[in-house]
Amino acid sequence: MSDDLSRYHRQTLLPGIGESGQRRLDESCAVILGCGALGSLAADLLARAGVGHLKIVDRDFVELTNLQRQLLFDERDVADAIPKAEAARRRLSRINSSIRVTAIVDDLNHTNIERHAEGADVLIDGLDNFETRYLANDFAVSRGVPYVYGGAVGTVGASYAVLPHTAGGDMPWESAAHGNLASPCLRCLFEEAPPPGSMPTCDTAGVLSPVITTIASFEVAEAIKILTRNYENVSRSMLNIDLWNNTISQLKVSRAYEDGNCPCCKQRRFDYLEGELGSGATTLCGRDAVQLTHRQDAPNLDLGAIAAQLRSHGDVVSSRHMLRAAITDNGKPYSLSVFPDGRAIVHGTAEASVARSIYAKFVGN
Amino acid sequence: MNISVQYFAVFREQAGRDTEDLTTSAATAGELFAEISTRHGFADSVERCKVAINDELASWTTSLSDGDVVLFFPPVAGG
Repeated sequence: MSDDLSRYHRQTLLPGIGESGQRRLDESCAVILGCGALGSLAADLLARAGVGHLKIVDRDFVELTNLQRQLLFDERDVADAIPKAEAARRRLSRINSSIRVTAIVDDLNHTNIERHAEGADVLIDGLDNFETRYLANDFAVSRGVPYVYGGAVGTVGASYAVLPHTAGGDMPWESAAHGNLASPCLRCLFEEAPPPGSMPTCDTAGVLSPVITTIASFEVAEAIKILTRNYENVSRSMLNIDLWNNTISQLKVSRAYEDGNCPCCKQRRFDYLEGELGSGATTLCGRDAVQLTHRQDAPNLDLGAIAAQLRSHGDVVSSRHMLRAAITDNGKPYSLSVFPDGRAIVHGTAEASVARSIYAKFVGN
Repeated sequence: MNISVQYFAVFREQAGRDTEDLTTSAATAGELFAEISTRHGFADSVERCKVAINDELASWTTSLSDGDVVLFFPPVAGG
């Protein structure tokens, strides 16, 4: 960014930001994990706010069904069949050419998060599955990087900012003028990730676009407070909204750290970061298929419920032993086989990232 | 005692309502969830959702008091 802050004048007028805060934004790096609906809007707002370096990690390509809610993308991106991270980089460079945007087209997992999140001053959650959220949470707590959770599906959304408790207790938010402002992590609130197939996804249950814009806006507001070191203004509550049924709640969660025995931020066990929990992917040689397995024990999936969700996408056959669904994703046909223990085989690809994406969208994890 | 219960996301869909005022003998949040879960046929177990009492996250063993507002909510995925 040039020394000329004039384009940010309406932002530097804010007492909590000012010119010093604006320079802090310029010196900051925000890593946006997932560039779907939440991630793309968050990226747009952070670019306009003048965050000096945005790193955008996403494994998917822009599809026509994304355009209803993913505001950075347009029909040309669909026609060009370009990755979301790259489409976002192109668009953001036209919005604010004075910042740096790095596009990372990859499947975020425990083997690469260290590399992709390197240098992050804040992690922004634009993810579509809980497994990767717990990975991000593990990284945030182990490395002392704030993490802003956001989730949205159907007509509901939730957001919550984590200022992690660290082993050394020496992060700026842990020794602020207002006391220790560290907050419970995502695993303090939800100790175990929801089992595969137990949660609705945007591809199976739909999503109301204003829920996305509301939650992404909350995420970005928290990120700006964090990057400008206004830690005392970071929300101590978890937001839950239902824009269709007109309910908003802000739940105080501070006691979850003291009252609980969080495996992550209290026991300092980083199960997802170390690959102990989460899923594994194996390419099945000569079969144009990828098998996904889960490392944790989970109750059996309700294959009937998943079948009901998938019928709007194509032919589905299910029994209590297996479900097989014909689905189309990004214009390509796939066959998805799901077993009661959560194991799945995605036929039609040899790429683990494609298989993981399809599983997250159509089964949910 | 009299409790006001609020339902969020999948609980709202399964209960078919946002809120419900009821009289219960449940002593804890967990006992209240068990009582309601049977009536509304909730698919989720306590391991997969959370409870807040009077806008503050609570545990399933937290005691209930007359007039409490109790919210049941799951994590929100998607994005």
